[in-house]
Amino acid sequence: MKYILLMSGTKAGVEGYHAWPKQDIEAHMAVLHSINQDLTDSGEFVATQGLAEPKEAKVVRGEKNGLPVTDGIFPESKEFLLGYWIVEVPNAERAYAIAGRISAASVNMPIEVRQFATHEAKSR
Amino acid sequence: MKYILMMNTMKAGHGVPSWPKKDLQAHIAFMIGLNKELHERGELVSAEGLSFPDQAKLVHAGKDGRPVTDGVFPESKEFLAGFWIIDVDNPQRAYEIAAKASAAPGPGGVPLNMPIEVRQVMSGPPPDML
Repeated sequence: MKYILLMSGTKAGVEGYHAWPKQDIEAHMAVLHSINQDLTDSGEFVATQGLAEPKEAKVVRGEKNGLPVTDGIFPESKEFLLGYWIVEVPNAERAYAIAGRISAASVNMPIEVRQFATHEAKSR
Repeated sequence: MKYILMMNTMKAGHGVPSWPKKDLQAHIAFMIGLNKELHERGELVSAEGLSFPDQAKLVHAGKDGRPVTDGVFPESKEFLAGFWIIDVDNPQRAYEIAAKASAAPGPGGVPLNMPIEVRQVMSGPPPDML
């Protein structure tokens, strides 16, 4: 079963993170790296990515002529995806346990856990 | 340059959309066609659909490090329905692809013109954070 673990935060939250002392950021990154290593060793790792800053985000809609309309204005309260982990695990509890480790490494911030839509994966 | 295109269109508690079956089929056929086209152009890195928000959980670590799960979300929260990761030459191409996905057909075959969030994917953390 594949799950995606989503870490999200607001622009204000990201600015707060950048203000952390360098050694705290380094310690945070080191724990995240060790989690990735553990998941690789256990064969559960599929992928992980960090995203560029929320200030670089754009929202795009197709217009009637099919041309893209881009906008970069978001409500202050919007939670932006900061990064994600994709894991392949035997059950949901294992996905929650991994999310709990990531949360503990990241000031106990909530991690959204979602299963991939397997029926769609099969039809591709 | 790698970009992620996100469909954040789902609201809390929602399951399978109650569209007529043929409209759902046309929507899925469009998405499969888009993925095929991006794959043939060598631009598709991955594309996934997520299970519906009624299955989502929020997890945080308790004081003892154990996972605490919760399934209660604010009504206003937008859920990720699916995403594409693409590898393209410039942001304009990413926006073009996002517009195409935005115009996927909905009920009655009318283009949804849903908003697609476009974000660059970082190849790794900034070197000064390692």
